[in-house]
Amino acid sequence: MRLRSVVWIAAALSCAVPQTIAAQDMSFDLNEAEAAEAEQPAEGEKKPEGEAAAEGEATAGADAEGGDVLAELTADTGKKDEKEEELGPREQEIAEEIYAVQRMYVLRNGRFELAPSLAMTVNDQYVSHPALAIGLNYWVTNVLAVGASFLWYQGVESESDLNFSVRRSTRLAVPITEYQLGAHLNFTYVPIYGKFSMFNDSIFQWDSYLVGGVGMMRTRPVAVVDPAVRSFDFDWRVAFNAGIGLRVFVTKYLTVFGEFRDYIYLEKLENLEVSLGADREDEATWIDENATLTNNMTVHLGVTLFFPFGFEYRYPK
Amino acid sequence: MGKTVTTTAIRLVIASAALLTGLALGPVAPQAHAQDLQVEGPLAGAPAVIGLRIYREMRFQIQLQGTMTLNDEFSRTILTGGQLMFHPTDWLGIGVWGGFGIVHIDTALTDQVGERGQTNEVNVLSLPRPGGFTDQIGIIQWMAAPQIQFIPLRGKLGIFEKLFIDTDFYILGGVGFVGIEERKDVTAGQFSTCRSRGDLADQIACLEPTQGERDTRTAIAPTFGAGISLYMGDWVAMTFEWRAMPFAWNTSGTDESGNSRGDFPDDQITSDDQLAHFNHMISLGFAFYLPTEPGLSHMDEDE
Repeated sequence: MRLRSVVWIAAALSCAVPQTIAAQDMSFDLNEAEAAEAEQPAEGEKKPEGEAAAEGEATAGADAEGGDVLAELTADTGKKDEKEEELGPREQEIAEEIYAVQRMYVLRNGRFELAPSLAMTVNDQYVSHPALAIGLNYWVTNVLAVGASFLWYQGVESESDLNFSVRRSTRLAVPITEYQLGAHLNFTYVPIYGKFSMFNDSIFQWDSYLVGGVGMMRTRPVAVVDPAVRSFDFDWRVAFNAGIGLRVFVTKYLTVFGEFRDYIYLEKLENLEVSLGADREDEATWIDENATLTNNMTVHLGVTLFFPFGFEYRYPK
Repeated sequence: MGKTVTTTAIRLVIASAALLTGLALGPVAPQAHAQDLQVEGPLAGAPAVIGLRIYREMRFQIQLQGTMTLNDEFSRTILTGGQLMFHPTDWLGIGVWGGFGIVHIDTALTDQVGERGQTNEVNVLSLPRPGGFTDQIGIIQWMAAPQIQFIPLRGKLGIFEKLFIDTDFYILGGVGFVGIEERKDVTAGQFSTCRSRGDLADQIACLEPTQGERDTRTAIAPTFGAGISLYMGDWVAMTFEWRAMPFAWNTSGTDESGNSRGDFPDDQITSDDQLAHFNHMISLGFAFYLPTEPGLSHMDEDE
């Protein structure tokens, strides 16, 4: 009788110890998992009644191996309810280290960034130049990237009603152009970063960046002065670009971004003068001799994908 | 044997029920697990920031603003004004915004029409004399809007890892009232009288005075926008704001209504010639808060 009492007490203590460890020192790490396994009773060892109710899920798993589904389900439910009642709010019993200096949320250096986006013109009342765009950056440091971007315009552009209205009311033709594509090399620099809290509940990271570079655009005038005779082919223009953007991190590899970028180039416009006689058919007279400095101010909205998805911090936490 | 069959059947039923329950709850379980991980620990249930400066709650905001309209076809307006807001909470404000147009700048298109526009029998009402086009274009005189501000985001930013600034992001909405000055209506009777003068030169001479005749009205429009505040101190902030106010008006003072292959021109200038415009603008402002001391969040909970 005395021996049985000792065994019961020992069993109760052996149940209580792993429970305490699991609740107070759980750190979700490998050592913890190994410790839990070590505390499981040896196979074939008879367990006293009540042990199943006090142990963690590992014991139930061992029972399941025996094929007793009913016992497993019953034991599992009872354990869970009892455990929750005994432990109370789990949050109070988990040790979590707090660091004086937190790590940066995302490291960019050495990673690639793929950025598909939609682009819209914001400063041209006469014709809109929306585009499908994609960019690829390589981050040399955490704040500096080199990259390339490509924009496709043709087929999605549209002329505004203003042109028609002005022509109809004032007999004045406004020369306009059509874009086909743009390809640019650029640097990106991140001078501003920050974080926002939403209703003081959740926090997300963002940064603001400067972008600039040089590239080529393929454009052509649209014949509005003498459309019966004139037609134009696409031609290459050297274009500079400069802009500013805002990137919000959804995860450590996915962001949404908005960017304002000005594509600056010298445009060849249709000649407003129409030559008479045979010269009217001369293509050399169709283009205005003076090139016009053009600012195609564009807003990009899109997402970026950093890869590789994961990264390692240089220093331990 | 019969007992074994019954037990096996019970096991199958229970196992099937467990499997179905598992499948049904499967998509939920990982999410619940993730949320458990987020809320556990000593910071479980704690606000994102403790001791956050509460810049807006129960404070008035007096803001001085400069505003410039964007993408204007014929005339760009620079307004000076401001707004007066009261914030019952840190995320909600109510008040009024407004400004007066102090500078009107003609666009390049307006200059081009003045220099190169042509008048003939068809458009003599729209453009009696190209040189007078500047006088007939519409301008914005003033704007005002009772509005509500919603401030969902509050944070800080670091510039060159040296300068750190408290900031918030807000969106706004309200009802806008816009004082507009447009070319005065020209009735079909007036035009008919001028048309009966004979040749084009006489018609131009008859209609030219109408180019400079002005009329004013108040347009009512929805307004919405977004902005960011950069707090330079406990009671002062710099703001950048974008705002739209779509409404219809006759920006060119020309005869616009009608289809070119049908009833155009209708030979009169009326409200039918007011075309819908998006009318958006950007503002730069300095906001001052009263009382001058901001609050601090959750400090009572720590004590």
